[in-house]
Amino acid sequence: MTSRSRPMSRSRISRVVVLYVLLSLVVLIYSLPLIGVLLTSFKTTEEIAREGLWRLPHALRLTNFSHAWMEGNGKRYIVNSFLVTIPATFISIAFGVLTGYVFNKLPFKGSNLLFILIIAGMFFPPQIVLIPLFRFFNAVRLYDTLWPMIIVHIAFGIPICTLIMRNFFATIPTAIREAAIVDGASELQILLKIMLPLSLPALAVLATLQFTWIWNDFLWPIIFTQSDKWKTIMVGLIALKGQYSVAYGVQGAMAIIASVPTLIIFVFFQRYFIRGLTLGAVKG
Amino acid sequence: MAQSKRFWRIVFLSLPLLFYAVIVIIPLTSSFYYSLTNWNGFSKTSDFVGLANFAKVSRDPLFLNAIRNTVIWMVAAIVVPSGFGLAIALVLHQGVRGANFFKSLFYLPICLSLAVIGQVWIWVYHPDWGLLNEILRLIGLQEATKAWLANPGTALPAVITAWSWQQVGLAMVIYLAGLTSIPAELTEAAEIDGANYRNLLRYVIIPLLSPATVVVIALSIINSLKSFDIVYIMTQGGPFHKSDTLAMFMYVESFKKYYMGYGSAISVVLFLIALVVIIFYFRQVQALEHLYD
Repeated sequence: MTSRSRPMSRSRISRVVVLYVLLSLVVLIYSLPLIGVLLTSFKTTEEIAREGLWRLPHALRLTNFSHAWMEGNGKRYIVNSFLVTIPATFISIAFGVLTGYVFNKLPFKGSNLLFILIIAGMFFPPQIVLIPLFRFFNAVRLYDTLWPMIIVHIAFGIPICTLIMRNFFATIPTAIREAAIVDGASELQILLKIMLPLSLPALAVLATLQFTWIWNDFLWPIIFTQSDKWKTIMVGLIALKGQYSVAYGVQGAMAIIASVPTLIIFVFFQRYFIRGLTLGAVKG
Repeated sequence: MAQSKRFWRIVFLSLPLLFYAVIVIIPLTSSFYYSLTNWNGFSKTSDFVGLANFAKVSRDPLFLNAIRNTVIWMVAAIVVPSGFGLAIALVLHQGVRGANFFKSLFYLPICLSLAVIGQVWIWVYHPDWGLLNEILRLIGLQEATKAWLANPGTALPAVITAWSWQQVGLAMVIYLAGLTSIPAELTEAAEIDGANYRNLLRYVIIPLLSPATVVVIALSIINSLKSFDIVYIMTQGGPFHKSDTLAMFMYVESFKKYYMGYGSAISVVLFLIALVVIIFYFRQVQALEHLYD
């Protein structure tokens, strides 16, 4: 602030210049891998064979994108991903609202311990449940459908949703609930009519977090699906690599298609997403 | 009144807890059981073999190799994201113009899938047209070019680098949150007392950031234990198991070779390591939580 009002000293100017040059350099190096994918996605295979991945494309052709979308089955994979992500995001948050409300507004003997046990689940390596779940979904004949992913993401979303909702409800005065009880409202009415409308920021945080995690997941579909018909986009991306091993342009286009939904969240809801990351990490 | 509270507790908790029990708790405990059997993934029956799988684990050179690689990964996870994340956060917190734009760029990898990140970095390391080799050629280091992911000496560091690229952004987010929670009066007071930036860092900022550091390091370690996706995509643990991690090794033994009993034993070891980290983390966070309230 003070530096604005009085002229900058020469050493300060040079420090600022050095800082900016360094920062720009770091940012450039940091974003190069992504720039490469973007460039590649617009190139034909011949162009890549001639000039490699990292030169500017000659024209902004979208043929790779349409190829990835149609012949590469991108459309089907994206639909599958939405069919998994949307219900799993929605239900895990709904569960978090219910549990978070109980843990904050209706605590009982041992509820804190139960809360900690649930939260701990957030950090466990999923490998510990892979084999039993594989067996379970085989036994209930849901192997190679989208159901195992939906169910598993709901369950694995419960810790973070419970955590964030409980902490959010803690900021809503208990007096509000008590006043409503005196007026004859039931807990369900309080939750739906009073608490939920107040919780929109927390719900937005969770929606961005859950959507991103579930969309980006790669492990569960690898374990629970087999046929191409049920591949989600992240697994489809890798399958495409086997099928179009030298068509780098198509692969690049598919990688971008796969990232569009989370990029949209990143661009428009970044504030909520970042808040969720810090809340989840710090309060955990 | 108390009656109705109890009723609503049961109504609200039953379905979430049922899901959680069936998908998380019961499988978790049954993994311990499977680790004591020789189940092959298909047959209806399996034999109880006691601790034989764990005895086998302790002698299996491939398991010990995976442990070694996971430990290397953990060490990198402790040092790299926290170091770079802190440095970037400190620079961006100084109020550089366009800080929000720079922040966004560093955030960006967090919203990408490790499948995409793996794909992107395979191209960085591509022997013929990879970015890394192109740059080396450009600056005349022709002889330093190699097939980074196929070379036994460089495969693991190459995969860890790609992974760290995403983790740095996460570390930066957490450090920035930590930096904003430091009261300005504190740093101003130190400046009035004549502290230069280095001393300010050393005696004020870094000590006050220790809660953030605990979070960053613990999260990095936990994420390093889970490292499967990016290994699967970039190297499948190769060449010659040089980039095998515990999570990857567990997957191959269980779902490629169908040694499900043995795979369960590996997952139990992985779980126990994670448990130690999680307990440590919870104790630290509980001790530090007031700093963020």
